[in-house]
Amino acid sequence: MPTDPTSAGVLRVEDLSITFDGLPDGFRLVDSVSFEVRAGRTLCLVGESGCGKSILSLSVMGLLARPPARIASGRVLFEGRDLLTLDAAAMADLRGDRITMIFQEPMTSLNPALTIGDQLTEVILRHRAVSAAEASRQAVAMLQQVRIPAPESRLAAYPHQMSGGMRQRVMIAMALANQPRLIIADEPTTALDVTIQAQILRLIRDLQRTNGSALLLVTHDLGVVAEVADDVAVMYAGRIVEHGSATSLFSDPQHPYTIGLMGSLPSLGTRQSRLASIPGAVPPPSQWPVGCRFSTRCPFADARCRAEVPEAREIAPGHIVACFKAPIELQAESAA
Amino acid sequence: MLKLILNRLLIAIPTLLIVSLFVFALQHALPGDPFLVMAGEERDPEAIARLRAIYRMDDPIIMQYFAWLGQVVQGEFGRSLRTGEPVLGLILQKLPVTIQLAAASMLVALAIGLPAGIIAAVRKGTAADYTASAIALSGLSIPNFWLGIVMILVFAVELRWLPASGYVPFFSDPLGALETLVMPAFVLGSGLAAFIMRHTRSAMLEVLRSDYVRTARAKGLDERVVINKHALRNALIPVITLSTILFGELLAGAVLTEQVFTIPGFGKLIVDAVFNRDYGVVQGVVLCTAVGFIGMNLLADVLYIVVNPRLRGR
Ligand SMILES: Nc1ncnc2c1ncn2[C@@H]1O[C@H](COP(=O)(O)OP(=O)(O)OP(=O)(O)O)[C@@H](O)[C@H]1O
Ligand code: SF4
Ligand SMILES: [Mg+2]
Repeated sequence: MPTDPTSAGVLRVEDLSITFDGLPDGFRLVDSVSFEVRAGRTLCLVGESGCGKSILSLSVMGLLARPPARIASGRVLFEGRDLLTLDAAAMADLRGDRITMIFQEPMTSLNPALTIGDQLTEVILRHRAVSAAEASRQAVAMLQQVRIPAPESRLAAYPHQMSGGMRQRVMIAMALANQPRLIIADEPTTALDVTIQAQILRLIRDLQRTNGSALLLVTHDLGVVAEVADDVAVMYAGRIVEHGSATSLFSDPQHPYTIGLMGSLPSLGTRQSRLASIPGAVPPPSQWPVGCRFSTRCPFADARCRAEVPEAREIAPGHIVACFKAPIELQAESAA
Repeated sequence: MLKLILNRLLIAIPTLLIVSLFVFALQHALPGDPFLVMAGEERDPEAIARLRAIYRMDDPIIMQYFAWLGQVVQGEFGRSLRTGEPVLGLILQKLPVTIQLAAASMLVALAIGLPAGIIAAVRKGTAADYTASAIALSGLSIPNFWLGIVMILVFAVELRWLPASGYVPFFSDPLGALETLVMPAFVLGSGLAAFIMRHTRSAMLEVLRSDYVRTARAKGLDERVVINKHALRNALIPVITLSTILFGELLAGAVLTEQVFTIPGFGKLIVDAVFNRDYGVVQGVVLCTAVGFIGMNLLADVLYIVVNPRLRGR
């Protein structure tokens, strides 16, 4: 492990594969995924709906129900410890404290029967030996940090008395209350109004930077990626097809899927982020092809692509691509 | 909330009118003349005529109904045709008996149904779940009167542990009351427990799949806290409503069980009254039951709002 705290790998996922009971034998919904998120940095996990982003992030949190899910291979190293080998109690000690998560659905992610104050102090009291009064004080401070007006008066409020944006701020406050080392945000702005998406995103990024936490941000919105990512992992049908720094991926995308995504790059805050330039959609897992899983939609696909799985290769320092054709000389296409 | 209550009370008026009219009509359509019963062996025609006049039995039915209604509105429920006792007095005398039985049965139902439902949901698909569901199904399908008779035969006749019948007011002799209550409350409660168990189970299953339970787990909370604090609180909302309505039904529906255990409650009162063509008593009891039923439904709505913060302050 590097000793420099700003570059220390907080989360290292190595060769992680996940299957589900009921799927054909050996079929991996998440297949040989590896990536690293470092302290103070943001890794964006990008991909279309259904490619396995949520399953992957829930498995890091230890929130994937096993069974039906099963870990077929790999390790999930958090500060050097393999989370997959921890028992339930040890994992629960980390959850909400060292590792936290912000979910996509602010409208349903807070408990409708409990006050904001109760739900917020609860996560502090669970992991810190403080009095209830001190937890309340910290809760108010957190609400202030996420820029909720009149924070004291919000403690007694119920979720239904707040808008989606305000509720997501509460979720962020809960996720950051214990100064986690790793924050996982699964499409934290997708369900929100376009006008507040950017605010929430900046809020998460600012708080993460001041905390020095590592941020794993799951999104299908390349505008979000352009805004906040230090590193990017592009996921397609359960595999990571391209991985590298945001700069190298945006300036020199190498995987045909990434190139397709870039072709439809919208600006942040607009809703046209549906990756329209790649024809078709991610097929359901039952129809994922044996070879390169992108071969059914790839303009460069040939017989080998349909038969063999392309290995991940480092084509430039820190820039990894899983495609037989990479590096692709693409002056013509990228201009199109 | 106040608006809701007022609203319900307004709807209650036509409901009660319809119920009372229906019972009145049905009651009078029944064959058999109460005065023949009353006038005794001699069947003195003069006595019968006098009675019919007093009770205005020769007016058209609709006139009788309005006459009766006019009295009821003034709090006058009339007298029993048979014993001459005031109907209201009879009702007030029997009501505590039935309430005591209903409350004890409800306690039994909740004490069995809630934990069984929670365990079945939390351990879904395990032996515990199947066992609870199987017991619930048998609880639903065993007829109350049969279970009652079997229990009497075993625990009262054979083992002599419990009295076979009777009523002891709880507040004058709690232990004695419990002895008489155990069997009928178990008989009535076991059927309801199955209901409550199944509703608790499905409500819990739904809540356990919810996003906020996932959030609770993401906080690292103990699974016990996740279930008891985060899940149960929401799952109980529909169960509370159900229990309140079931309680209303208990008040009205303890008839058979009261017969089996010879408990001098509402059930016995109404059965006797129907057999004796004791119009005044039947009508009074039915009206009272309808009021109780509407009251319990209203209470269910109010409780639903009280336990559900989303609906408060509307
Ligand atoms: N229990 C399960 N059994 C089998 N397949 C599942 C199960 N849960 C999810 N899947 C499948 O796994 C795939 C990945 O799901 P996941 O929710 O991780 O996608 P996602 O990338 O987060 O998509 P979105 O952008 O819509 O949130 C989907 O195709 C889904 O149908
Ligand atoms: S391996 Fe073949 S099918 Fe897959 S992305 Fe590369 S060129 Fe396309
Ligand atoms: Mg998802």
